[in-house]
Amino acid sequence: MSNYTKPLPAISTLNGPYWDGLKQRELKMPSCNDCGKLWYPPAPFCPECWSRNFTWRQLSGRGTVNSWVVFHQAYFSSYKDDVPYNVAEVELEEGPRLLTNLVGIANEDIVMGMAVEIVYDDVTDEVTLAKFRPVK
Amino acid sequence: MSDWNLKDQTAVCGVGHSSYGKRLNRSTIDLGGEAIRNALEDAGLKKNDLDGLIVSFGTPIGADADTLAYALGLKLRMYNQTWAHGRFTASCLQWAAMAVKAGLANYVACLASISFSGFRKPMMGGASDGEGAREGGGGHGEDPVYGMTSPGAGSALIAQKYFAKYGATSRQLGAVAVAFRKHASLNPAAMMRNPISIEDHQNSRFVCEPLRLLDYCQINDGAACVIVTTSERARDLQKSPVFISGMQGLPAGREEFIWTHPGFGVAQQSVFDYQPEPQPVYQMAGVTHADIDALFTYDAFSILVWTALERWGFCRPGEAAAFTQDGRIEVGGDLPINTHGGLISEGHIMGWNHQVEIVRQLRGECGPRQVANAQVIQWANAYGDSLIYRR
Ligand SMILES: [Zn+2]
Repeated sequence: MSNYTKPLPAISTLNGPYWDGLKQRELKMPSCNDCGKLWYPPAPFCPECWSRNFTWRQLSGRGTVNSWVVFHQAYFSSYKDDVPYNVAEVELEEGPRLLTNLVGIANEDIVMGMAVEIVYDDVTDEVTLAKFRPVK
Repeated sequence: MSDWNLKDQTAVCGVGHSSYGKRLNRSTIDLGGEAIRNALEDAGLKKNDLDGLIVSFGTPIGADADTLAYALGLKLRMYNQTWAHGRFTASCLQWAAMAVKAGLANYVACLASISFSGFRKPMMGGASDGEGAREGGGGHGEDPVYGMTSPGAGSALIAQKYFAKYGATSRQLGAVAVAFRKHASLNPAAMMRNPISIEDHQNSRFVCEPLRLLDYCQINDGAACVIVTTSERARDLQKSPVFISGMQGLPAGREEFIWTHPGFGVAQQSVFDYQPEPQPVYQMAGVTHADIDALFTYDAFSILVWTALERWGFCRPGEAAAFTQDGRIEVGGDLPINTHGGLISEGHIMGWNHQVEIVRQLRGECGPRQVANAQVIQWANAYGDSLIYRR
């Protein structure tokens, strides 16, 4: 794990709870206690009503494939053994969309709208990524 | 109407550019100097007439406004610059129009001078892509943590969804690349002048699937410059003025994703049936779609032509695939688009080469690729900003 060479997230005071959540096997996003809006990416206060009264809510980790691409070119040298690799946009049951990688499926078998669920990938001691796999 | 109705109040009085090419091995200050010099000469102006400068796309791969002024010995009363991103062409021209109207400057040179391919390291994706490292994420959906990098990948995400949503195909998208290459074949300044076929497009390799190499713009070096002044001053200069008749600003927010219209349903956009309501740019210019003799759009990737056509209401969502077939977007067709070959085939000068071509079309200087009797031309983008020019 210590020789992981791919890009890592820049963890900040704004997105810290998101990354802490993943490490603890919880997909969490900020949710407004006043208007009910759930949002991603993180923001300092509710982007809908500007309330600062929000909590990090745990989500189901289920969603569907909203779109995806397959990289045939390795822009990062750390990805050169991975091409062709996929990047998908998953629409969570609760609404927000996340970029991710689909695992446990061949690129040619990915279809629009397929049901997927979260897989926690501990890439380093500090960072856990949210990846998704088809729902069996 | 207030004094700030800018319809036809300002004009482009000169255009110029450097040569365009891969690995020209020239400094961006050198390229920018050549473009500014050519534009001033085109306008019949002298170095010291120039008192304003607006630069699109400076560091890390382009020349910055202050260093250009220093190196070229300019005496500026105002300058401004956007961050290193291609989307600000219209924004720069809008600032220039407002600046000359407000008297901040008399003649404002607007340009990009860039080296994607040689003098500086390429930054389009990968480790040197500063975009993906921005707090809040990349401007084209970059998320390097999952290997999502480069502006083209965000476009590929749109293309995949578009194909699925409307049953469109990569083969249909090929018509855009074929049309622009045909235009470039008629343009001595273009980098890619050999005509291509749909089969060539279909046989080109995937870069970020479903987009292929021939869906992608050029990665090159060069500079292009446009000089803006008041219409009053422009009328006294050597070339016919090309008036800025309408303008519309660059939208932003959660309902926007740079490569498509609202409602499309990517990133955090809502999903709805997008209705292209009458856009302010047409009202300001006092024209309708029927008056637009040619359309120019930011074609970093072929799919952006489809999403721009739909965003601006030239066709309904889902119809652009069919709309762009059978030569309709070629010179001689119903709506010629990017008659110089665009970023895909003339070269990638961040849309500044498009402004040069628009001006030349409206002056009737385009030879074999001239749009007959061009009077009104629109610059309108997938990301939602626009200019309408008239002669
Ligand atoms: Zn709220």
